[in-house]
Amino acid sequence: MIPLHWFLIVAAALFCIGLYGVLSRRNAVGILMGIELMLNAVNVNLVAFWRYLDPLESLGQVFVLFVLAVAAAEAAVGLALIIAIYRNRDTIIVEDIDLMKW
Amino acid sequence: MVLQAVFMLFSAMAVGAALAVVTNKNIFHSALFLVVALLGVAGLYVLLEAPFIAVVQVLIYVGAISTLILFAIMLTRRLMDASERQRNEQWFISAIVAVGLFIVLVLSVGQVHWPVVHTDVPENHLNRLGQDLMEHYVLPFEVTAVLLLAALVGAIVIARERTR
Amino acid sequence: MTTRTPFLFLPQLILLLTTLVVFGIELVPGDERRRKDWLPAIALTGLGGAAMAIIFLWSRTTTPPAGSILAGMIVVDRFALFFQILAVTTTALVVLLSTDYMRDRTPDQGEFYGLLLIVCLAITLVVAAADLLMVYVGIELLSLTSYVLTGYLREDRKSTEAGIKYFLFGATASAAMLYGMSLFYGATRTTNLAAIATALSEAENSLRGLVIPAAVFLLAGFGFKIAAVPFHQWAPDAYEGAPTPITAFLSVGPKTAGFAVLVRVFLIALPNFYPDWMALLSSISIITMIVSNLVAIFQTNVKRMMAYSSISHAGYILIGIVCWGRGGFGGSFEGISGVLIYLLAYLFTNVGAFAVITAFEEATGSSRIEDYAGLVSRSPALAWAMLVFLFSLAGIPGTGGFIGKLYVFGAAIQARAYTLAVVGIITSVIAAFYYLNLLRYVFFQPPTENPKSITLSATAKITLIVTCVLTLAIGLYAQPFLQLAQASANLW
Repeated sequence: MIPLHWFLIVAAALFCIGLYGVLSRRNAVGILMGIELMLNAVNVNLVAFWRYLDPLESLGQVFVLFVLAVAAAEAAVGLALIIAIYRNRDTIIVEDIDLMKW
Repeated sequence: MVLQAVFMLFSAMAVGAALAVVTNKNIFHSALFLVVALLGVAGLYVLLEAPFIAVVQVLIYVGAISTLILFAIMLTRRLMDASERQRNEQWFISAIVAVGLFIVLVLSVGQVHWPVVHTDVPENHLNRLGQDLMEHYVLPFEVTAVLLLAALVGAIVIARERTR
Repeated sequence: MTTRTPFLFLPQLILLLTTLVVFGIELVPGDERRRKDWLPAIALTGLGGAAMAIIFLWSRTTTPPAGSILAGMIVVDRFALFFQILAVTTTALVVLLSTDYMRDRTPDQGEFYGLLLIVCLAITLVVAAADLLMVYVGIELLSLTSYVLTGYLREDRKSTEAGIKYFLFGATASAAMLYGMSLFYGATRTTNLAAIATALSEAENSLRGLVIPAAVFLLAGFGFKIAAVPFHQWAPDAYEGAPTPITAFLSVGPKTAGFAVLVRVFLIALPNFYPDWMALLSSISIITMIVSNLVAIFQTNVKRMMAYSSISHAGYILIGIVCWGRGGFGGSFEGISGVLIYLLAYLFTNVGAFAVITAFEEATGSSRIEDYAGLVSRSPALAWAMLVFLFSLAGIPGTGGFIGKLYVFGAAIQARAYTLAVVGIITSVIAAFYYLNLLRYVFFQPPTENPKSITLSATAKITLIVTCVLTLAIGLYAQPFLQLAQASANLW
């Protein structure tokens, strides 16, 4: 059997890659893709924990289903905002969106 | 042995494609790599004997979310231009943060003696999942329904064409 | 359980029903403009009904309640009901503020009030959540609707920009929070808060080593909701760009919800790790108080200044949570009831201040500090109301803000957390500087141009009177409010 650690390390890698994407991208869609990678890392964690530690209960898988449903809703709202700002500004580069200073 | 090789294949697919997602200069290619990464993750779910989750992953992530993202890129098409700079100035610090966090995470999950149970997944597991969703977890289930309604209404209000 | 389960959901059911009515009313044929004028009234009726249901439940609830409901997803205790009252009150005041402000700014009135009611519904669920799964779903419902409301004015550049920034920060914070939750699931094989505490006390040492990283991830999510440094960067932008009534909401609603979740999760699930998270929260509290107050001095926009002010209050309130167990429940100042009284006073004060800002923006179209010059000659009522609210934010005796600060600083001194108390008091003095600076403009600077007097609408008057009276009432006759807070401060 594959050791549990392996899955957890893959999840950690996906999470950190996603975080890098979030921190380093200028483009709002690029940042959103980073966030999706982070959410996938969470799901790998949850399913791995479920299979190795708690396969007789359904909690781990239920949690994943909720994360998936919420992620879809989140993507829809996020992309709606991105399209709205593109209409107003002609850009979705986050640094260029600077009417308000940091 | 075979299982481990398959694991290596899927995780290399997921992690490699994920790296391409965050580093590729062309945002459209990034989105395509995202699809590959999500499929790799679906493969990991199959290895973890969660085929239902794998199918849902393909349907929702690959089918819906990636499509949405591709649509958004095409609707905001100036961004498909590969000459556009995609990295900000802090990318180097971000990389250090990400690598540092990865090391911390690997060390903290690595030091744990996980109390692994060696049992098979029960036959009727999917029935159980459905039943629990309607009984045990019915409240978050209903709240998610409200959440989808709110997201739907909100997305339409915000993305609607100008009325004037 | 003395009360039947469906009754415990009465406030939520009323809110949901009102939401559906508000959404559906657009579909009825007839005179559209007149129907839109009814929307705030319908929303207020629903909120009033929900408030009555919550008060009824509060009076019926025993402490501790007999048990949690729906497989431990939710606990309806007095702590939760107290926060539900705060949520409903905030939303009602924001509806009043929005009536005039949103009428000319957006054609989508029904959706606006519906989403506002859904945010309120989300808060009432989050504050009662006793399971990480429920916390997650509730926080997401709260966040998603908040993003939409922030970016609601889709043809206004600032509003959409605020929405997208709020969204990107929020989604990242919630992904980090989820990662923490997944680690808790791995360490304990449960997501129920009480069960996590039991599992962790029995777990072997290597599993316990996972708790601190997991708790840090959770804090990223909660810290984002309460807008504490270093998870605060979204706040100034979102506050400045959002429609002003929504800014008022953001400064109170998500913050109170975040505090309720923070208290419940850390006190119920991690009581054995108190020394660890205490150190974590006190450092966050100290950085928050220092950074926010120093940056606030240099702001030129009132909404941005209020954003940093609101961040600083998160720092003060955290003191109450940090000094939870150490003073002992026998002491006269108890951290958690300090948090509750602080939030209660903060609600009326901050919504009141934003009522002034909204009214001013309605009349002049500006929210720059220098445009407030000579406000006293243009509208004495607005000027004096602003005086009350800013005194309360600064913590001057006789106002609600003073009582809140007294109780959290008192808890800190009683718990011998002198560093927190000293930093708190010094930064309060710094804060008084920028609050008084705004008052200097209002009272002592001559108006620059366009010195027309400002007339207030009926809804603005009602909001100002309610918030002003309650801010002063908490400050001058605190006893009943303190008793309410103390009776609600018991988590089972």
